[in-house]
Amino acid sequence: MRLLLAAEFIKLIKQSKTYYALGAILVIEILILVTAYFQGSTILDLLLDNLKQSFYFEGTLLNGNLIMYIVLNSLWFNVPLILMIVTSGIVTDEYKDGTMQTVMLQAVKKWKFITAKYIIAVLFTVLVIGFMMLTTFILAYSIFGNGDLVVYINTLNFFEADDAFHRICWAFASGAVSMVFYCVVSLTLAIFIKEAAKTWIAAALFLIITTLLLKVDFVLPVLNSFLFPKLIDNWQQMFYYEPDWTQILINNGILLLYTVAFGAAGTYVFHKKDIG
Amino acid sequence: MLAGNNLSKSYSSGKALDKVTINISAGQICGLLGRNGAGKTTLFKILCGLVKPDEGQVIINSKRAKPIGGIIERPGLYNFLNAYDNIKIFAGIQGAPTDKLSIEQTLLKVGLPVDRKDPVRNFSLGMKQRLGIAIALINDPECLVLDEPFSGLDPIGVASLITLIRKLAEEENIAILLSSHMMGEISKCCHFLYVIEKGEIVNAGITNELINRHITSFSITAANLMASSTLKKYTVEMGTNDARVVCTAAKVPSLLSELLQEGIEVTACTPVLTLEQLIKKAI
Repeated sequence: MRLLLAAEFIKLIKQSKTYYALGAILVIEILILVTAYFQGSTILDLLLDNLKQSFYFEGTLLNGNLIMYIVLNSLWFNVPLILMIVTSGIVTDEYKDGTMQTVMLQAVKKWKFITAKYIIAVLFTVLVIGFMMLTTFILAYSIFGNGDLVVYINTLNFFEADDAFHRICWAFASGAVSMVFYCVVSLTLAIFIKEAAKTWIAAALFLIITTLLLKVDFVLPVLNSFLFPKLIDNWQQMFYYEPDWTQILINNGILLLYTVAFGAAGTYVFHKKDIG
Repeated sequence: MLAGNNLSKSYSSGKALDKVTINISAGQICGLLGRNGAGKTTLFKILCGLVKPDEGQVIINSKRAKPIGGIIERPGLYNFLNAYDNIKIFAGIQGAPTDKLSIEQTLLKVGLPVDRKDPVRNFSLGMKQRLGIAIALINDPECLVLDEPFSGLDPIGVASLITLIRKLAEEENIAILLSSHMMGEISKCCHFLYVIEKGEIVNAGITNELINRHITSFSITAANLMASSTLKKYTVEMGTNDARVVCTAAKVPSLLSELLQEGIEVTACTPVLTLEQLIKKAI
């Protein structure tokens, strides 16, 4: 397994698409930063105009913490979409280039090969989120500085600078779990579909449906609590005034179980399926 | 060494293989001739374990970690990596040596340069085929299957690949099965031929015997063939530079002797046998 992981790692770092993905994340961040730099104050003034008539705000609310929170919101669609496209390519490219056949003609166990791909995809996802967090942190704080955070989730919540940074860090960690779930799903879809373009469509559809189902009431409490579309926004729970840490932990644990289930299904199908 | 017994496989589009039996011994080069869609690739995929047969079994008498290697349809390579890294990746995943010397020896074995550092996407098809064979040979398999290895190669590439295939069989005692729809190329290097049509083996035999049994005409190249009185005894189709003479293989020595007596020096005499003839005769 160690040898397979090393090979998958070499393939990942030698492919240009890996750097395209990191570049795409950076472009999203820079766009957010540029927009915030030129229009952020105007938008904030517009949003908080009524509050400003009743409360006194010290310091600027357009700060590094707010920028990090805005960037964090790209975990809803932009980042998972990029990750799903890149990670599904780990499998679809092998089918397209015929290397899947070449690998399967070597003394390699099918389940080990595909498990190595899942592990590398997960590590890549965690790396991307880490890269996103680090670059946003550096850019946002160096340009906008520190300050209190205001976010709107059902109501306006205010957090002091230190508390805000703490919550943002945990949100990135929780968001990484959601991204890992999406990346494992995309790999499983790639195993089922094999073709890149069809897998991208299926992955995008999965992402859209999951996001839509997040707002749907399934009537049954167990579904409303534990069906995977209801668990993908765990990172958002960090910005409630008093987050339920136990529930966040349980939800992330269940989401990881879903991740393992999707991975196991993909591995089983890959093991049973003919190659070519 | 490599045997497929009564192999059958059906897809939704129809039956791809129907009770195919095939045997290849160590050091033997076997050819599988068939038109496109005859079932060659399906048979190869089954022999290599990529596809499970509906019926029948594959037997490989080998205790090696990798009993069989091969290229199916086209060499599947990591085009963004160079030849060295491709070998390193494929050797690494199966625990084969990945040191510089071993990799360079693998490259040299198939006649590839060790100093090319550019990605294999820049390689010619012939070089890709050689790299594909090098990858197939990692971990010393006892059998090698090559699906359409001559496809897309120029005559020099074909000749060079035939030399390599023969060398592997003779020097390393590898059982080799290769497929093609090109009669000429496959008959040059194979000891034994199987002919497949619509998923069934319709003809088989030792290459020379099979060709001799089915040959009906020869292409003769010489000067002044038009003036030959000997050729008037045969059914002849005159070409620009040769004459296609209808006769059996047994009559060729006397034909050549008569032509020589006439003062016509034959520079080439090639059997003309098409895949269709082998299929039709058998059916």
